[in-house]
Amino acid sequence: MEDIIVRISNMSKAFPTGDGDFLALKNINLNFGKGEFTGIVGPSGSGKTTLLNLIGSLDTPTSGEVEVLGYQVSQLTQKQSSELRSKYIGFIFQTYNLLPVYNVYENVEFPLLLLKMSPARRAEAVTDALEWVGLTDKIKSRPSQLSGGQCQRVAIARAMVKKPSLVLADEPTANLDTENSLHILETMKKINTELGTSFLFSTHDQKVIHFMNRIIELVDGKVASDDIQTGA
Amino acid sequence: MIFKLALRNIIGNGWRSLINIFIIAFVMIGLIWMIAMWYSWLNLAKTQQKEWEFASGIMRVKSYDPYDMFSWEKANAPVPVEAQAAVAKGSIVPILFSPCVIYPNGRMVNAIVKGIPAKQRLLKIPSAQLSGTDESVVPALIGKAMAISTRLKEKDIFTLRIKDSEGAFNAIDLQVSQIMDCPVPSLDAGTVWIDIQALQSAKQLPDMATVMVINDNALSILHGKEFRAIGEREFFADLNQMVKTKAEGQSSLFILLVFLAMLAVFDTQALAIFKRRKEIGMLSAMGLSKGKIILLFTTEGSLYMVFASVVTAVLGFPIFYYFAKIGFSLPYSADNFGVAGFDEPLKFIYPAPLVFATLLLMFLLTVFVSWLPARKIAKMKPTDALRGR
Repeated sequence: MEDIIVRISNMSKAFPTGDGDFLALKNINLNFGKGEFTGIVGPSGSGKTTLLNLIGSLDTPTSGEVEVLGYQVSQLTQKQSSELRSKYIGFIFQTYNLLPVYNVYENVEFPLLLLKMSPARRAEAVTDALEWVGLTDKIKSRPSQLSGGQCQRVAIARAMVKKPSLVLADEPTANLDTENSLHILETMKKINTELGTSFLFSTHDQKVIHFMNRIIELVDGKVASDDIQTGA
Repeated sequence: MIFKLALRNIIGNGWRSLINIFIIAFVMIGLIWMIAMWYSWLNLAKTQQKEWEFASGIMRVKSYDPYDMFSWEKANAPVPVEAQAAVAKGSIVPILFSPCVIYPNGRMVNAIVKGIPAKQRLLKIPSAQLSGTDESVVPALIGKAMAISTRLKEKDIFTLRIKDSEGAFNAIDLQVSQIMDCPVPSLDAGTVWIDIQALQSAKQLPDMATVMVINDNALSILHGKEFRAIGEREFFADLNQMVKTKAEGQSSLFILLVFLAMLAVFDTQALAIFKRRKEIGMLSAMGLSKGKIILLFTTEGSLYMVFASVVTAVLGFPIFYYFAKIGFSLPYSADNFGVAGFDEPLKFIYPAPLVFATLLLMFLLTVFVSWLPARKIAKMKPTDALRGR
């Protein structure tokens, strides 16, 4: 497969518990290509978030390898993994995790400050990102003044503003109603199509499944199925 | 970026930030006030002691021990011949000390009698009052503290008994010509001042002195083997030590206040880190290094000090200005509490290096107590932080 951006080989992840180690992921082998719009589905505790955290270099595997954009996650120093995330990976969380003291514009601008981008380029990128999610009229609003759907759109704009190679979204529609969920998915799909950004979701929301062009099902830390969907 | 976010977080923290800022500000105002109070007190005490007792320097007879009153009986020596002209000119003021017994209102009180030239103008002691025309009584000066303890009033006549150089007792009748406002306790308590010639005559010690107070011009002629020059450092050693001891005593209160202020900052930061774990996880996910996240929280804590400095300046200025311009009176009765009083208000002087050093110390302490809870972030896993653990 060409343009593989994530390569996972024989990867397992264990967490220590009182009764010994709990194996959250068992011998995972997966590849993700550029421009994919992939959903990771499965019941709670199946290892979806753990898998996303490992791909996002927020955690390291217990065994096996996770290679993201050519970097071996387990071999990165803290500083290097911070750099990888700040330059190439965007995150979207179930609970939005916006900075409450910043307005919409400042929240979206924040990742660009980490990249030390010039003010003019920042302004242009933020405006573009807010146009993608349709929130240009809310730039001065604080997160507390927005609805859940609007907050998640801000989170998408924040993840997309630096035009990352990969966006990792952990249950992005879990806190939203059907209408907002569909709107969020449509927005992300549009960005995926127009910018070619790879999206990797964890979800157990059946109503968003048909947006995916690939669905990976995890059950008890193992890949139960990996289906390519046509026409998604 | 870090500073801006820290600033917003402080502002967004609302009344919690305000409480911290005001606590630090009040502690700083208190610290500056205390520093200025002791510094100004010491400064005024030294100024007045110079005006009343020390002038530009003092020469003491070598046998004179300021801590052994019984030795004063024989602690005297002739004023050096080389100094006679300066004495006549008023550049040197000889003073003769002697233990004595006085009988005010029929009571017997041990005291020290000091003889000073009536015409001297080097010291502020109102010695002009010691020139008398009535030969039956000798004019005497006493301070307010002495007047209170002996119940003597102006114009009162009392007897002084003194031992002369041959060991015989002489008695003189003294009349209180003035009760002076003397800010130097050692010149007041238990002391009677008379003209030096009257004392020399009673003691049969002509031209003898215990100490010689000098001005600058007179320094060069003091080569007498009998006298020892006392420098400012030695002369004020006791005063400096007293202020140091008292200031240290007061410091314990302020150390406690500083500790409470720092505890408030520490508590706020520790709570913020606990409450904002998801934010810490999100910042980490976005690529902010742990070092920068620690810096963010440390900056937030340090900003309390910055704002507190502004509040200190705004709230403290009228207070500091009032004490600098108007001051407050420290009556002589304050002496009962171990602090010498003054006849003029104590106006504050703010020693810039000392105030700056104190503020710097406060700043460093605030940075430290902000950093202490922030260290935990280094041990926090981003995945746990995102889960709010």
